[in-house]
Amino acid sequence: MLIITVLGIILVVLGLWGMLTQKNIIKIIIGFSIMDTGTHLLIVSIGYIKDRTAPIMDKAVGNASQVIDPVPSALVLTAIVIGLAVTALMLTYAIKLFEIRKSLDINDFKELKW
Amino acid sequence: MVKQLFIIITLVFLVIMLLPLMTEVKPFEDLSLVSQKYVNAGPDELGSQNLVTAVVVTYRGLDTLGEVAVLFIATAGIGFFLRKKAVEEKDMKSKASVLVRTGTALLLPLILLLGVYIFLHGHLTPGGGFQGGVVIASGILLLMLAQSDIKINISLLYWIESLSGAFYVIIGILGLALAGGFLDNRFLPLGDFGRLFSAGAIPIIYSLIGLKVGAELVGILNNMQRSQ
Amino acid sequence: MVNPIYIFIIALGVGFLLSLFEKAGKILTMTVFYSALAIMTFISGQWLIALIRGTEIMTLTTAGFPPPFSINLRMGLEEAFFTFFINSLGILAGIFLAPKFRSEKVYGMVLYLMMFMGMNGLVMTRDMFNLFVFMEITSVATVSLIAIDRNLKSVSAGFKYVIASGLASTFFLLGTIFLYRFTGLLNIEMMAEALNYASGQAVFLSVFILLISIIIELKPFPANGWALDVYEAADCGVVSVIAAGVSAAMLYVFIKISALLNQNLMITAAGIGTVTFLFSNLLALKQDNARRLLGYSSIGQIGLIYSAFSFFRLAGFTPGDQTVLLVVGGLFVNHFFAKAGLFWLAGIVKKDKSDEWAGLRSSPLLLFAFAVFILALAGLPPFPGFFAKWQLVMVLSAKGMFPAIGFILLGSFLEAIYLFRWLGKVLKTDPFEPIKIKPWEAFPVAVYLLAIILTGGFLSGIINQGSSLSVLYLPVLFVIVLFMLDFLPVLVKNSLVIVVFSYYTFRIMPQLSGYRIMFGIIFLLGGILLFIPGYIKKGRRLGFYPLAVMMYVGLAGLLLSENTLQFFTSWELMTLGSYFLIIRGKKSEPHALSYMLFSMGGAFVMLLGFGVLYHVNGHLLELATLARIPDMTGIIYSLLTLGFLTKMASIGLHIWLPGAHGEAETDVSPMVSAILLKAGMFGMVVLMSAIPAVKIGFIDIPYVLGWLGAITIFLGNLLAIYQEDAKRLLAYSSVGNLGYVLFGLALMSHLGWLTSITYALNHFLFKAMLFLAIGGVVYRVGTKNMYEMGGLIKNMPISFISVLIGIIALSGVPPLSGFAGKWLTYNAILQKGWYLQGAVVIIGGLIAFLYCFRLIYAVFLGQIKDRNRQVKEAPLALLIPQVILMIAIMVFSVLPGAVLRPVGKFLENIFPAGGLNWQAGTAFTEYGYWNGYWIMMVTGGMFMMVLIWLLFIDRKAQKVKQFNIVYAAERPFRPETTHVGYNFFAHYRKALGSLSRPYVTKFWDTLTDITHSSADFIRKLYNGNGQTYIFHILLFVVVVYFISFGG
Repeated sequence: MLIITVLGIILVVLGLWGMLTQKNIIKIIIGFSIMDTGTHLLIVSIGYIKDRTAPIMDKAVGNASQVIDPVPSALVLTAIVIGLAVTALMLTYAIKLFEIRKSLDINDFKELKW
Repeated sequence: MVKQLFIIITLVFLVIMLLPLMTEVKPFEDLSLVSQKYVNAGPDELGSQNLVTAVVVTYRGLDTLGEVAVLFIATAGIGFFLRKKAVEEKDMKSKASVLVRTGTALLLPLILLLGVYIFLHGHLTPGGGFQGGVVIASGILLLMLAQSDIKINISLLYWIESLSGAFYVIIGILGLALAGGFLDNRFLPLGDFGRLFSAGAIPIIYSLIGLKVGAELVGILNNMQRSQ
Repeated sequence: MVNPIYIFIIALGVGFLLSLFEKAGKILTMTVFYSALAIMTFISGQWLIALIRGTEIMTLTTAGFPPPFSINLRMGLEEAFFTFFINSLGILAGIFLAPKFRSEKVYGMVLYLMMFMGMNGLVMTRDMFNLFVFMEITSVATVSLIAIDRNLKSVSAGFKYVIASGLASTFFLLGTIFLYRFTGLLNIEMMAEALNYASGQAVFLSVFILLISIIIELKPFPANGWALDVYEAADCGVVSVIAAGVSAAMLYVFIKISALLNQNLMITAAGIGTVTFLFSNLLALKQDNARRLLGYSSIGQIGLIYSAFSFFRLAGFTPGDQTVLLVVGGLFVNHFFAKAGLFWLAGIVKKDKSDEWAGLRSSPLLLFAFAVFILALAGLPPFPGFFAKWQLVMVLSAKGMFPAIGFILLGSFLEAIYLFRWLGKVLKTDPFEPIKIKPWEAFPVAVYLLAIILTGGFLSGIINQGSSLSVLYLPVLFVIVLFMLDFLPVLVKNSLVIVVFSYYTFRIMPQLSGYRIMFGIIFLLGGILLFIPGYIKKGRRLGFYPLAVMMYVGLAGLLLSENTLQFFTSWELMTLGSYFLIIRGKKSEPHALSYMLFSMGGAFVMLLGFGVLYHVNGHLLELATLARIPDMTGIIYSLLTLGFLTKMASIGLHIWLPGAHGEAETDVSPMVSAILLKAGMFGMVVLMSAIPAVKIGFIDIPYVLGWLGAITIFLGNLLAIYQEDAKRLLAYSSVGNLGYVLFGLALMSHLGWLTSITYALNHFLFKAMLFLAIGGVVYRVGTKNMYEMGGLIKNMPISFISVLIGIIALSGVPPLSGFAGKWLTYNAILQKGWYLQGAVVIIGGLIAFLYCFRLIYAVFLGQIKDRNRQVKEAPLALLIPQVILMIAIMVFSVLPGAVLRPVGKFLENIFPAGGLNWQAGTAFTEYGYWNGYWIMMVTGGMFMMVLIWLLFIDRKAQKVKQFNIVYAAERPFRPETTHVGYNFFAHYRKALGSLSRPYVTKFWDTLTDITHSSADFIRKLYNGNGQTYIFHILLFVVVVYFISFGG
């Protein structure tokens, strides 16, 4: 068990806690962001191999047995950027919601139901 | 607080559910099947010293193109969304302090330079187009903070964004036409391993991504700033 | 052929550059935009055609490395199919949204293009992580477009959506990365091969997380509140893309992912889908917002599709199997076209409430499209959903998955309820506000209308399993031609129908044999006869002829059908046509709905019966196999019987009939009463002649049916006597009459069947005549209430005579044909020894006298109302068929042998013993003999003698004026209470009150109430709070995990 895996899952659950309990939309988005970060940590933790270094094949690194798995690193890069895009969009929504109703309380947006 | 209790119980069950991921899953002992090939053959096949870059730009190039697209869509979405320009003037904001303004003047060129350096050397050192783009955007953000009344040349942003995106796609097509497949970087010579001009089209792609990401992030910042 | 990668290149390239084009003008930008969509459609369409013709599947590798080292895409038949549909939707919805794109910033078009690029990617990619990227592309673009209107509703809906889909994609990412840990691969197929569930719980968990994230994207019940809000709030054009396009792409993702699932997870997916289908449709019952209703329906349909796929996988089918393609493809196409079309219509109508949609009537095209989409969703022929559902039920039956079928059929039934309620409201609500139709909005609807009809035809061709539906093709083609000729006046269309129908009958009749001849006479000859009254109508009578003919097509199809598929298709066509006939009446809307719901319910039960039959008899469809069922006979028999009895309106299932028949138009009432009711009987005859004896446990089913028939006779007739409305009286009397038919069949003896079949013919004759005559009176007098009639004998003598003959034939007194029926019935009862039932039947027969008397007395005798003094005889078009029917009754009465002998002869095949012995014109049984000719002579002679005697003693009789109250027992011309005929049998009501209370109606009402209130209760869980929806999702994930893990 890697400490970083545990940390990732803790962040995911913490983020979810934030999303479920905070009333302020901005805080909910922060919760989402925390959850997202937790996921990224998990991805990175998957690629990690003990006692190895980054997969940059310069002169310091001689052969394949000295580097970690480059795939999760590549994936996490994509995931981070996408997470950024989604968060930005959520924030935009928050701005728009505030603009319309002058409130950021999630309980104030319940027109549609049933 | 029955509701809180429900949430806690659910989350506890979620943790119980996720427990096997912590207890059962061990980290890799060795490279996976795919990454073995990347690590062993990557440097020769693609000529990129940074293997993460090789994976990002070429092996999984379509992901990256998609990723660029996501960012592009988010920018477009935000621009689409916040179309209403704020009517009120922004001069109610207090001007930034002298320290910030001087610091900005001093740091901005360096930050921009660092950004360019990062994306140009994406195939050699840690970093790449996205990181470079973000650094560039952070420089502009600093500028915005320092001079809140500054007008960003939106039209220029569009041009950079659109053209760099289009060229990225064109490079992809060139890969399809001249080399092994869409987004193959090997239609340009691989050059000397470890040099700036190496790894085929990777530096070009990363530069385009860097420009595009930079422009997009600036666009997002600009939109959000204007709408407040 | 163009490399499919160009779909992405075009979309991305144009997307990136579009904002530059904007500088050169909107027209150019839009041209480029639509060209891009067109090219994308072209590429996928080209591949679709090529792959159907057998081109090799194309595997695209990117970056020049084979999988798993690089991302690869695939263009196979499924991918071509899905991308083509999605891209065609792209163009059409794009056209629909054109004004929006024009007025908005260029970003609208960019986002739209990216959204479709994402969907294409979802369909084509074979890489797990790449799937994630395309998922995000699609959802980010979708989320941006949801708020295109930027009003509060759409923005808050969009926010809920973005949070929910963010959560789903986080789960997806988690699942993907851990699967990479276990397999070291990202390519889906290779991953599936490398996956080893035995290596630990974590593997199962990872696949589960992956699966559940896809399922969340597919909007499972109850974790779908966020999606419903979007369906309700976003722009209709955008919603059409979400409901049809994005769902389609996600559906295909599910199909791809399913390669990884083990048995347990497959069951989980199937279960979630079924539950979603059932509950979405249940909750939709209480929904009055049209778009939210469509949202519920969409979610339900998608649930059905992926559960169907999962069931098929569990049943051992490979994903590429043709049956799977037929069912999943059929259901998908059906949903796709109909839902896109309906959301567009929602955009055209611009009304939130579903009962304000009547404005559609201002455009025949849009109304037609609406009806077609609704019918397609309800799973009726000839639309794709019907064939898919049929095949689904058959396949699941073959594997014995009956609980699943039960859920699916129950869900489909709930769906039918709200769909037909909606359709009825649109067809009947008055007054309505005309809608403005813009060509760019109507065009996409028209295209998908055409598409859904064509795919229906296509599926009907490939479903056949050796049982072609070709027998129905020409007639249905005629229906289509009639739709196209609908602009012609009634005179032309009526004549055309009569001519073509006659020709068809002339061709069909020689092909029939046995009891089918009898039904052929009723369905076909009777059908022609009953088109004659149509001449009383003027104008165009839009929609009448195609649908009336469709009903007859169904009836003829029943006669010709040799297997269950043909039978069921015909049955549904008949139901469909008759529904539209019934709903034409002024106040028919609730009654037509109730008719349709009983019919649909009956049809689903019947379908289940056919499914069980398919299961036990070695997967054959032939109707003939009914005669050699090895197992589960009782179940099959009961299910089919239940289905048929709904059409026969046996007591308990009869509540639709009085309204439906009573409120129908003048010439429709006889059609649906005299002819259509016999369809149920035909089914019973087919069934019972194949299965002579059947028991469930100790219960002898025909014995039960016998009692049911007897009680139906008694109660049907009893209820008839209290009616004030002449047509309802006739309608209730039909309930009783069909009771005789059922009773006779249930006797399961030669005489019983002889009774039943002749009674059916008889009922056709007298009920058609009575409905025409009374219809004529109503037509002239302008009311159906008998207390507003009276004394019409002089004004309408021919109608009087036909009612007189009709009631004599009905009540079964000598000398007319009804007596033959009675005599045979009593003989049959004695023969069988059902004395108690016999007593009920006889009492029921006595009650019939009461309403017969009332019918003739209250309408034609007594005092005439002032208002009715100028009333003329009914129009010729109504009288001619009456006269023909009169002659037929007379002939039948004098020469009963002409009918009884051939029928008896045929019945000897089924019941060799116990028939009639004929000596010349006299029939003998063990209890007596009977000769129709002599009865006519004797009765006629007695009548003449009495008449002469009366004339002799009443020589001094004098005519009195109407208001000479010395001779008349009423005070004329006052409200209904002064009419002797009003509430005529009040004293019986006092005596027999408890029997006539509407228990049955109450039962169905209560059932309806319970269903609705439970729907209302459950849907409260969608409280509108985005946070609650997140909680729903999380709870859903956890609960499903522990269920599927434990189970």
